[in-house]
Amino acid sequence: MLRLSKLRYGFPIGLLLFFFLDGSISQVFSNQMFNYPYTMVSYLVVLWLVLANFFENQISIPLVPWAIAIGVIFDLYYTGIFGVFIFIFPLVILLTRALSRALPNTFLVNFLIYFIDITMVSGLSYLANSTIHLTSLTSSEFLIYSLAPTLAYNLAMFVILYFPIQALFNRLR
Amino acid sequence: MRRFFSNRRLVIIIVCIIVCIALMNLSVVIRNKRSTPPLIQQFGNDIVGFTDRIVALPVNGLQGTSEAISGLLNTYQENQKLKGQVETLTQTQVRDETLSKENKQLKKELKLNSSLTDYSAVTAAVISRTPSSWQNQVIINKGQASGIKKNMPVLSGAGLVGRISEVNKTNSKVELISDSNDSSNRFAIQVTNKSGQTVNGVINEYDKATNRIVMGNVTSKKKLEKGDKVITSGLGGVTPKGLYVGKVISAGNDDYGLASKVVIKPAGDLSNLSVVTVAVSTN
Repeated sequence: MLRLSKLRYGFPIGLLLFFFLDGSISQVFSNQMFNYPYTMVSYLVVLWLVLANFFENQISIPLVPWAIAIGVIFDLYYTGIFGVFIFIFPLVILLTRALSRALPNTFLVNFLIYFIDITMVSGLSYLANSTIHLTSLTSSEFLIYSLAPTLAYNLAMFVILYFPIQALFNRLR
Repeated sequence: MRRFFSNRRLVIIIVCIIVCIALMNLSVVIRNKRSTPPLIQQFGNDIVGFTDRIVALPVNGLQGTSEAISGLLNTYQENQKLKGQVETLTQTQVRDETLSKENKQLKKELKLNSSLTDYSAVTAAVISRTPSSWQNQVIINKGQASGIKKNMPVLSGAGLVGRISEVNKTNSKVELISDSNDSSNRFAIQVTNKSGQTVNGVINEYDKATNRIVMGNVTSKKKLEKGDKVITSGLGGVTPKGLYVGKVISAGNDDYGLASKVVIKPAGDLSNLSVVTVAVSTN
C-alpha cells in the first residue's frame, strides 16, 4: 500500500531530484558530455522510474501518471518542445512492466531491460526531433555519435546506482 | 501479435501518435511566432526553475570549487602575463571614458537620444543545460522581470555565445550558436580591416568540428586579413551594435567560387558557461 509507506514522499522527491540532476550534470560536465561529435545524454530520471518499477514489489506506485507528469515538465522546462517525452516516459514504464513480467527479477536481467529502455528513449526522441527538423543527423550518425555514448553513460549510472537505490527503496518501504 | 494489436489498442496508439505530432508542431509554431510562451507554460517554468535552483546551487558550487583549485595552480604565470596587460588597459579605459563622454555630448547636440550602440548588460547565472543531443541550450536565471526579450544576444566572457530563445518571468532559455537550429546563429556582423573599411554580412554557419564561425555569401571585394576584428553591426532587430564577436582567421572564396567566405574565431568561450551577459538594448 503506497498510502502507508514512506515512499509516498520519497518517490516524488527522488524523481524531482534526478530530473534536476540531469540538467545540472549536463551543465557541469558539458565539456566531457558534449564533446563534438559525441553527445552523451543523461537520463537519470528514466533510471529512477525504471528502478521504481523493479523495486516497488507489493507497493504499487502509480508510475504511468508520474511518468506523464515528469514528461510534461521535461518537455516544457528543458527542451521547450511539447509532446515528446510526455509520451516516451510512460511508454518506457509500459515496456519495462511487460518485460519484467516475463523475465526473472535479477540484476543482469534488469540491466538488459534498462539497455532496451534507453535505446527506445534515445531512438524515439531522435525520431521525434527529426520529424520536426530539429536535427540533421542521419540514422547511422545517430547510432555512432549519440546512441552509443548515451548508452555507455546511462548503463554505467545504472550499475553505480542500482544497489544504493535498492537499499533506499527497502528502507523507505 | 494479433492480440497486441486489438482494435481498441490500435486506435489508442494511432490517436497518441497523432496527438504527439500535433503537439510538437504546435509548440514549434508557437516558439517561432510568439515572443513569449503561453502564460501557463511560463508559470510552470518559473516554478520548476525556482526548485531547480535548490538542486543546481550545490552542484554548481562543486564545479566552482574544483575550478578554483585548478585555477590556483597556474595563478603565478597568469599573474605575470596580466600585469603587463593591466598597464595598457588603464590607458585604454581612460581614453574610452573621454570618448564616451564626448560621444554623449555630440549626441545631445544632434538631439539623438539613443543609437544602435546603446545597451545595458544584464548578468545572469546558468542554472542548467538541456540534456539533449540535438539542442545546445542552457537555462539562465533572469527573465522578463529583468527586461530580457526574445532574440536578444547573449555574451560570455569576451564574446557572443548565443541568443535568447524563450523567455519566462524569472528564467529564460539560451540557444547557443553551436545549435543545429538555423536561426540560432544568424547575427548581422561587420568586419573592419586594417585600412578602416567595413564589410557587412550575416553569420550563416557554425563549424562544430573546429569551433569556428563562418560568414558566407560575402560579395564585397574589400581585402580582409587574418586578425581583423568582427563586431555585431546592429542591423535588423534587437542586437545592439558593437558587440565583439571574434577575429578573422581566413578569408577566401567559398565552395562555388562566386562569393567569398570569412572564417572567424569566436571570442566567446562556449565550453565554460557559468555566468553569461545578456545585452538588453535600451531603444
